[in-house]
Amino acid sequence: MTLKTTTRSLALAALLGATALTLPALAQDPSTITGGFDVGPGGFQGNFNPLAATSGLTWLSVYYEPLVIYNAELTQLEGALASEWSMSEDQREITFTLVEETWHDGEAFTSADVKFTLELAKNAAAGSVFAARLGAITSVDTPDDRTVVVKLSNPDTGLLSTLAQVMILPQHALKDIAPEELATSTWWATTPIGTGPYKFTQYVTDQYVELAADEDYRNGRPLTDRLINRYFDNSAAAVAALRAGEIDFTYVEPDDAATLADNADYRVIEGASFVVNYVGFNHMVGLWDDVRVRKAFMHAIDRQAIIESLYGGAAEAANCGYVADQLVPADIDQYEYDPDKARALLAEAGWSEINGDKPITWLTYYNTPLAANVMAAVQAMLSQVGINVVPRVVDTPTYNGIVYKEGTPDWNEFPLVYAGLQNGPNPAGINVGLNESQLPPNGANIMRVQNRMLSAAFDAALGETDPVAAEARWQDVCRVMNAELPWATMWVANRYGVASNDLVDFVWTPAPAGGPFASHPEKWSKSE
Amino acid sequence: MVLALSVLVFILLRLAPGDPIDAYVNPASPLSPDAMQALRDRLGLDAPLPVQYFGWLRAAVTGDLGFSIQRVGVPVLPLVLERIGPTLLLMAAGLAIAIVVGITAGIISAVRRNSPTDIGFSVLAFVGISSPAFLTALLGLYFFSVQLRWAPSGGMLTPGAGFSLGDLLAHLVLPACLLSIGHAALIMRYMRASLLEVLNQDYVRTARAKGVREFFVIVKHAVRNALLPVITLIGSTIGIAVGGAIFIESVFNWPGMGLLLVNAVETRDYPVIMGATLVIGATVIVVNLLTDITYAAVDPRIQVA
Repeated sequence: MTLKTTTRSLALAALLGATALTLPALAQDPSTITGGFDVGPGGFQGNFNPLAATSGLTWLSVYYEPLVIYNAELTQLEGALASEWSMSEDQREITFTLVEETWHDGEAFTSADVKFTLELAKNAAAGSVFAARLGAITSVDTPDDRTVVVKLSNPDTGLLSTLAQVMILPQHALKDIAPEELATSTWWATTPIGTGPYKFTQYVTDQYVELAADEDYRNGRPLTDRLINRYFDNSAAAVAALRAGEIDFTYVEPDDAATLADNADYRVIEGASFVVNYVGFNHMVGLWDDVRVRKAFMHAIDRQAIIESLYGGAAEAANCGYVADQLVPADIDQYEYDPDKARALLAEAGWSEINGDKPITWLTYYNTPLAANVMAAVQAMLSQVGINVVPRVVDTPTYNGIVYKEGTPDWNEFPLVYAGLQNGPNPAGINVGLNESQLPPNGANIMRVQNRMLSAAFDAALGETDPVAAEARWQDVCRVMNAELPWATMWVANRYGVASNDLVDFVWTPAPAGGPFASHPEKWSKSE
Repeated sequence: MVLALSVLVFILLRLAPGDPIDAYVNPASPLSPDAMQALRDRLGLDAPLPVQYFGWLRAAVTGDLGFSIQRVGVPVLPLVLERIGPTLLLMAAGLAIAIVVGITAGIISAVRRNSPTDIGFSVLAFVGISSPAFLTALLGLYFFSVQLRWAPSGGMLTPGAGFSLGDLLAHLVLPACLLSIGHAALIMRYMRASLLEVLNQDYVRTARAKGVREFFVIVKHAVRNALLPVITLIGSTIGIAVGGAIFIESVFNWPGMGLLLVNAVETRDYPVIMGATLVIGATVIVVNLLTDITYAAVDPRIQVA
C-alpha cells in the first residue's frame, strides 16, 4: 500500500465514521421537551435549593410549588398550593386553605409542611435569602391539615409577593437536617421531592436536569413524559443548540430574537423585563448634589432614539421607577430630548466648576453587545453637553464587590453606574434601592440616595393596606422620583424567549428572577 | 511546585474583586449587605487569609478539597476528578488527530517539497497556526452543528439518552477536530522541517543507493529520526492544549476541567478554582515527565536518570 492510498483511506474512514455516529444524537423525542430553562438573567444554573434562589424560579416551580403564584401576565396572584386565602381586616393575619396533594414520594402534603417551610425560610442560618423579607411573620399556626394562619407583626403589602417565591418543602424529608447544614445538603441535587407536575429524576453535573411526569399530579398527569433543562455557558450556545434542533426553548438576547423572528420554525415570546434600567448617581461624591445636573442628564440622552435604534422599539422610556400605567401619573415631566436645555441647566448649576470635562467613571455589570452599544450612545450624547463619562464594564461579582464594599467604599470607583432594579410585579421592589431606611448594611441602597421626601413616599406606599389607595401612593413615589431624580431613569426593556413551533400550550414569560409564574407545565406538549 | 502554585492561586483569587457571595447576588433583585454578610459568615469567608489558606491546605493534604460554594453540597475532589476524564478524552482525541494529520501532512510536504501539495499544506498550516481557538471553535460550531447539523452543538452525551459509545463519539468528533487544528498545523511544520533535514543525511542516501524502496527509506529510516523534535513539541504543547481545551469546552459545553474552571472563575467558587488548578498543575508536571521518558524510549542515546 502506498503512502497516498493509506492517507486517503484514513481520511475517508474518519469522515464516514463521524457522519454515521452523529445521526442518532440528533433524533428528536416527542415525549421529551428539552430547553434552556435556566439561560438568561432569570435563570440560575446549578442552584437546586429554593431557599437560596435569587433567580431560577421558572424551573424550580416545575417540581416545587409555592402557596400562591403570579399569573403568566404577572398582573395578579392566584392559588397554587393554597386554593384560596383571606386577609384579616387589620391586615395582620392571612389564612390559607390548602389543596389536596401528595409529595412525589406519596406522602400527604399538609399544613405542617407549610409551617416547616416558612419557619425555615425565616431562618437566616438556613442560608435563606427570604429571611429579611419574611421578617413581619410572627407565627404560623396550623389549626388543621388544610389550614394555615400566618400572623404578622405589622401589615406587609409585599408579603404575598414574597410568598409567591417561597417553594413549599417536605417536612418529612428535611426535618432531620439541621438548618445550618441544609444549604450544603446533597438532598437538593440528588433526591429532592416536591408537589409540582414533574418530579426530579437526575442531575448530570453541569450538563442537564431531568424530570419525569408525576402520575398523581392533582391537575392531571402531564402530557409530556419528560422535561430536560439543559445547561449552557451562555445564551449564544443555547441559541446554537436551538438552531441545531437539539432543544425546544431558550431565553435569547434581543439580537437573536430579531434574527429568529421571521423563521417559521420558531415562535418568539416577548415580555416586559420588569427591570427598570437607570443611570445611578452616587450621592456621596458631590457631583450630583444639584438637581439641575441630574435633570441635564435626562434631557441630554435621547432615550427614544436609543429605544428605536438599539432596542428595535422593544422598550418603554421610564420617567420614574415605573412604566405601568396605573403607577405613573399623567402630569409628570417627560424629560424630552433637549441638549440645549441640558447645556443651559448645566451652566446654571455651574458644571464647569463642579467637574467640567474631567472623565467620570461609569460602572456597569451589563456586558452584552446591546449594553455596550447603549452605553456608547449615551456616552456620545452626554459628551455633546459637556459631561465626559467613561464606561467601565466588569463582571457581576466585581460590580457587587465594588458597590457593596464593607466599611467605607471608594466612592470614586462608582460615581455613576448603569444598572437595573426589579420594579414589578410588586412595585415595592425598587424601595430597596432608594429608601433611606435601605442604606447599607440594612438594604441595597448602593447609590446612597438620602431623600426624605422620597423615603416618606415609599413608607406611605408600603404602609397602605387598601389596594386602590396603594396605587395612588405608588403614583406619589413616581412623582417624587420624577421631580427629584435620585437616578436618571432610562427605560424598561422587553426580554425574549424563543420556542420551537412544535411546542403546544407552552407558557413562558421573562419574569424577573424567573418569577415564578403559573406556566402549567402539565399542559405542555410537543406535536409529532 | 504544586504548593507554590496553590499559594499563588490563593493570593490571586483574594486579590480579585468580588467573592462568591458577590457572584451569587443578582444586582436587579439584590440582597442587603447584612444578608450577604450572614452568608459569608456561614461559609467562613471572613476568616483571616492565612487561617483560610492553612485550613484549606491541611484538608487538601488529606485529600479533602472542600465543597463547591456554587454547587450546593458538591465536594470538590469528586467534582474535579469526574472532569479529568472528559478533558483527557478531548485532549487525547484532539492530540491524536493532530499527531496523525500533522505528521502525515508533514511527511507528504517534505517528500514533495515545493510541489503544489507542499504549498497547499503549508498555507493551511499557516492558517491553522494563526487561527485562535475561540474563532475556529465558533466557526466550526456554526457550520457543522447549526448549518449542516452534522454534529451535536454541545455536551458530551445526548441529555436523557443514557450512555452509548456512538453518542459519545458523535459529541467528541467536532470539538476534538477543532482542538486539533492548531496543533496539527504546528506538528506539520516541525515534521516537514525535521524530515527535510534528515532526508539530506548520508545514511538516507546510503539506503537509497542500496536499493531500499522509497516508502521504506522514508518510513523506516528517515521518519523515526525526524520524530524526535516533534515528540518534544507534542510534549510541550500539552500545556497549550489545556488552554485550547478551555475555549473548546466553553463553546461546546464539554463537561471537562476547562468548563469547570471557567464557571468557577465567573462565580468566584474558590474551592473549585483551587482544586482544579491543583489538579491541572499536577497533570502538566506528570505529562512533562512522561514526555521525557518517551523521548528516552525513542532515542536510545538519552538515558533516564
